[in-house]
Amino acid sequence: MIPKSIKWRLQLWYGLILVAVLVGFGVTAYQLERNRVFRRVDDDLHRRANAVAQSLHRPPRGRPPDAPDQRGFPPPEPFDRENAPGPDGPPTFNLAPPIAALFDTNDASGFYFLIRSLRPGHAEIARSANAPKDAGTQFPEPPARPQDAETGPPPGDISGDDRGSARGEIPGEPPQPVMRGSCRELMLLTPLGESVLVGKNVSPELTELRRSALNLSAIGGVILFIGLAGGRVLVGRALRPISDISHTAAKIAAGDLSQRINSAGTGSELGQLAAVLNATFARLETAFAQQKQFASDAAHELRTPVSVILTQTQTALTRERDAASYRQTVEACQRAAQRMRKLIESLLELARFDAGQEALKRLDFDLSATVADCVELVQPLAEERRVKISAELKPLRITGDSERLAQVVTNLLTNAIQFNRPDGEARVKLEAREGLAVLEISDTGQGIAPDDLPHVFERFYRADKSRTGAGNSGLGLAICKAIVEAHSGVIEVSSGEKAGTTFTVRLPLAI
Amino acid sequence: MRILIVEDEPDLLASLAQALREEGYAVDTADNGDDGLFNAEGTDYDAIVLDVMLPGMDGWEILRRLRKSKKTPILMLTARDQTRDRVRGLDTGADDYVVKPFDLEEVFARLRAIIRRSHDKTTNLVEIGDVTVDTAARVVSLKRHPVELTAREYTLVEFLALHRGEVVTRTQLYEHLFDENESSLSNLLDVHVSNVRKKLGAEFIVTRRGHGYCIE
Repeated sequence: MIPKSIKWRLQLWYGLILVAVLVGFGVTAYQLERNRVFRRVDDDLHRRANAVAQSLHRPPRGRPPDAPDQRGFPPPEPFDRENAPGPDGPPTFNLAPPIAALFDTNDASGFYFLIRSLRPGHAEIARSANAPKDAGTQFPEPPARPQDAETGPPPGDISGDDRGSARGEIPGEPPQPVMRGSCRELMLLTPLGESVLVGKNVSPELTELRRSALNLSAIGGVILFIGLAGGRVLVGRALRPISDISHTAAKIAAGDLSQRINSAGTGSELGQLAAVLNATFARLETAFAQQKQFASDAAHELRTPVSVILTQTQTALTRERDAASYRQTVEACQRAAQRMRKLIESLLELARFDAGQEALKRLDFDLSATVADCVELVQPLAEERRVKISAELKPLRITGDSERLAQVVTNLLTNAIQFNRPDGEARVKLEAREGLAVLEISDTGQGIAPDDLPHVFERFYRADKSRTGAGNSGLGLAICKAIVEAHSGVIEVSSGEKAGTTFTVRLPLAI
Repeated sequence: MRILIVEDEPDLLASLAQALREEGYAVDTADNGDDGLFNAEGTDYDAIVLDVMLPGMDGWEILRRLRKSKKTPILMLTARDQTRDRVRGLDTGADDYVVKPFDLEEVFARLRAIIRRSHDKTTNLVEIGDVTVDTAARVVSLKRHPVELTAREYTLVEFLALHRGEVVTRTQLYEHLFDENESSLSNLLDVHVSNVRKKLGAEFIVTRRGHGYCIE
């Protein structure tokens, strides 16, 4: 069974590949060495076999008998084939001394030869003293030749490329040395009817090769061990950051969102992964904190109206009351319910903006007309609070949802009236500036304290704690911001204490 | 018993005040922090019900400032229910803490408890000779038989019983039994004292001329 861990699988594959490479390399090296050793032996065998074979035939006609042949061998001693011994005849044949010197007959591991007649009976013509008894038994019995060997193929040089034709069997196929036990032997058939077998006991070479193989195996084993150990260390080091990451991720999964992965080596792929994960965790943490705060705030906002309903109804039910008293209770409950409805609507609206699900219309319209409508809408409230509204509106076309933007304008105007002083002024100004529609709504009220100013667009943040009444959910400016930003716009606030507050909305003009 | 409620939500304030008045308390109200602190510092209330989120000065600030001069029992009333808010409230000097939305019964019980503790009492029962005052059930018994008292008569008995052995001045009684809208009716107190003596015995409330009243 293959282990599941990447570390072990990597090591397993690495080990298998390493073994394959080492075995391939070792086998190749051994083969090369073996070929080299045997080629040397084979060359010697061929050389000796040819020398022996040549010494058996007469020199070609028209050639001086004492002229040395191409390879410097002395002219062979004529061999009296007619008087060659029969199958039972004693070996009376002797090689010429220079050729005999090629065979060290005293050395058990040296070269040996065996010459036999191809005539029926295969009588042995000559053999060296160190030739084993079973020499040549691995070769198939050569076909016997008739007596009149002269009718055979004309004599030729049995050497070099022509060696194959000497056997008169398969032209072009040179005779190949064959192993017999620990001996390597080569058999040539001369055209005149002899088989020449030359052999060598290659035990020393085989021993040498075995030692080489052992050496190669030992070196391969050491390299394999070092490679595996090094691989283990490398794999461990390469995978260490992954286990760090998974540890940290596990902690985060367990709920501790403040944990971060150590991304010291940010250059590597894993460092980049750690950085990406950290950024994701940071976003998650922020989103979680915001979500928690939002839920807690929403619950908090709902507590007050629920308290009103509970207290009102519990008080009303303690005893019998008159109709007017019940009516008061019901009205108070209705006010509380309205407040909850408004809160829930605002929360849902914000949630839709958060999720990007709020469907906004994308139509060209004149923003100044929308603003003028809003001014008209809040006029009664302004009169009630004795606030004068002055509007300076230039016609501007923008693309977007006029109803949603009217909601923003109305909200800002209502604030400008409610936070104004009596006999104060609310100014509305709309103009094009730097390619943007710029709407400014300012009041002459108390202004917002510098501490509160950065927070006014936060959900449930109330700069003035007194406005916890039914009309104010603490979400109005947060919704304004969401709507403006959904129109690719910006909303800003500036305020000086006692100098009034100005809200500025910038929106892209219609193209 | 006179209680101050500081709460900015008008419907909640109105119903709380009504419910506590029906329980026999004299109730003053304030709908913002500044008025709340002014009232709390100027009058010896038996308890204060204090909201945290208030326009003007918030509940924490009122608590902090009031604790410099007064030991009045304070019941905090808030929509914040996180532990750290409760701890902060109690550490700043609040006597108890109720989270909105609450049940009126719980508010009543907690008010009774903090008032009782402020008089070093451990139970709701006060025994004075043959008379037993049960401050939880708001029942006075004479020789184990319940005596019918009006709400005002009961609070008079309860107040004197909680201050047993002390001479309670008429001013104190006015301050604790009547709220700010009715305290000028000076002979009202004599009528209540006279009625209680008829029901519980002439010697139950002793008059100390020039000082006030006392239950011995």
